[in-house]
Amino acid sequence: MIRATGAILATIAALWAFAVAGAPADAMQGAIQKILYVHVPAAVGAYLGFLTTALCGALYLRSGAERWDRLAISAAEIGVVFCSLNIATGPIWARGTWGHWWAWDPRLTLTLLLWFIYLAYLLLRGFTEGSERTARFAAVYALLGALAIPLNYFAIRLFGGAAMHPDNLQRGSLGPGMGWPFALGLLAATAAFAHLLALRFDLESRRVEEARALAQERRE
Amino acid sequence: MNAFLAVLWKDLLQEWRSRDRLVAMLVFSALVIVVFHFALPGGAGAQTRSFAPGLLWVAYVFAALLGLGHAFAIELENDALAGLALAPAERGWIFLGKWAANVAILGLAQAVTAVVFGVVFEVDLLPVAGRFALVAVLGNIGLCAIGTLAAAVAVRTRFRELLLPLLVLPLLWPVLSGAVRATADLVATGRMGFEPIQLLIVADAAYLIVSFVSFEYVLDE
Amino acid sequence: MTAPAIAVRGLEKRFGFAVALASIDLTIPPGRSLAVLGPNGAGKSTLLRLLAGLARPSAGTVEIGGQRAHGREARARVGLVGHATFLYPALTARENLIFAGRLHGVAEPAARAAELLEEAGLADAADRPVGGFSRGMAQRVAIARGLVHDPAVLLLDEPFTGLDRRSAERLAERLARLRGERRTLLLVTHDVVSAARLADAAVVLARGRIALQNPGPLEAADLERALAAAEAA
Repeated sequence: MIRATGAILATIAALWAFAVAGAPADAMQGAIQKILYVHVPAAVGAYLGFLTTALCGALYLRSGAERWDRLAISAAEIGVVFCSLNIATGPIWARGTWGHWWAWDPRLTLTLLLWFIYLAYLLLRGFTEGSERTARFAAVYALLGALAIPLNYFAIRLFGGAAMHPDNLQRGSLGPGMGWPFALGLLAATAAFAHLLALRFDLESRRVEEARALAQERRE
Repeated sequence: MNAFLAVLWKDLLQEWRSRDRLVAMLVFSALVIVVFHFALPGGAGAQTRSFAPGLLWVAYVFAALLGLGHAFAIELENDALAGLALAPAERGWIFLGKWAANVAILGLAQAVTAVVFGVVFEVDLLPVAGRFALVAVLGNIGLCAIGTLAAAVAVRTRFRELLLPLLVLPLLWPVLSGAVRATADLVATGRMGFEPIQLLIVADAAYLIVSFVSFEYVLDE
Repeated sequence: MTAPAIAVRGLEKRFGFAVALASIDLTIPPGRSLAVLGPNGAGKSTLLRLLAGLARPSAGTVEIGGQRAHGREARARVGLVGHATFLYPALTARENLIFAGRLHGVAEPAARAAELLEEAGLADAADRPVGGFSRGMAQRVAIARGLVHDPAVLLLDEPFTGLDRRSAERLAERLARLRGERRTLLLVTHDVVSAARLADAAVVLARGRIALQNPGPLEAADLERALAAAEAA
């Protein structure tokens, strides 16, 4: 599984890097616009991450099978990294184009809120004792967090700050020659997420197995 | 349904006996309002009045966090939480009982705090009292829905007082933004649009339903 | 109940990597009383809490009267008197019992509370906050709480701990009466004399497993030996 996702990632990433390097610089923003090829895909990873975490949480509550919880924590850890990357690259781009580090732009705000939800989820896991209770509590919180995402979206849409984000998803809003690197970026993010998830899940499974074996040994 | 009424009655009775939760919440939120007043430049000037509604809701949230933590701290003595878990009832009703008691107590605190707020910031809430009460109640409902569930979770972790605000605040944004926006509109123009109310109703309903259903898993050992 | 009152098959309970209970098989027909003995940490309390429906098994099944223990029907039939009393110190004995009654869907909680308080000999202390009660009195209220919904199965976790001689005597009499009422009793205790007196059969747990099953009739000396063997192992 890991080898498969790794191979796919390597291929797409290579194509993507090539495409980004070859993409034309934006007429108005200059070369700094290229950071968007990282910024937007990172958002994909962030949201994919939390949705996976919430879904795995729900599956854990229904079945009680520990593997869902292992997948949930793996997805959360990978997702928070993507989320952090998105939030870090946002201001860098903003400073380069609008002149200030931060603006309460709707999408950035939404992702910032997601980042806080991730943090709360990870802290909750860290502070709860007992792996079964941790898994259960984390799953419940992930469900609430997943609910918060669309609610936050509506809240922001109603009262949102200055809409300074270019709407890249509409046809024609990107300049010529930018379509491919952009699309590849989204694919690369998805592939990266899948690969990292597989790696982390494998690591988690091995950690659990070793700890179990150690506990078994200590008992005998 | 029995369980809902039983828990509501019990919580209100306990609060009536000691009144410590309500007093603490009132003192705390009044203090917050006064501190804000002094901390802001220009005191009760026009500029301050424009973001005063936000401050009022900050005071409400702080008071709520205090009260919510207490709501489950009282269940820790003598393992009373297990006593609740033993009930042959749909556990969501136990959640609702706790939630309702929290709403009632917070509501009382909100009313008194609003008066203090009106006096300190020289904001006249009387002409919009009815609509403000509606906003306050809707905000209260959402805050307590998230908070009751989060408190039930936090109370059985390390550093529960620290974890509770960390769990509640990221989820609170839809409720808070709707409530603050509506309150700000009322204070500034005496009218409020339907969108904030709509957001509040949707968020409240969503959080209540999910919390009701997932409480089953929270009460397990 | 035609199904066995308590039926446990292949029960396993893990907390993380620690195995609290493993391969537990137990069947108790209605009306019988079972003593559960064993050294500290053997898993006795865990077993009781699983029977009371407070937690889900990691593997295997736990059934009360043919229903899954972790469910509403089963919980309606089980009363638990645990290590802790489940009582609210600020509320009176009467209020605590009325609350428990309402929680368990009892038809007339106030009347039931009065009845239980009378039976427990606590009628005069009924309207005093439980926080001021002695251990013995609090224990009596806790037992009343366990019985508020007239459960067919009563689980008691070391009820004699911390009681003076008089209270312990009174408790033993109470349990003997309950046994006579054809309830199914499960008594976790260290006290082999009470166990022999109050139970029909016994089971000794050690390190999460059943070390010994004694189908009775019980002799204190036998139980003492079994317990010592389990502790030594």
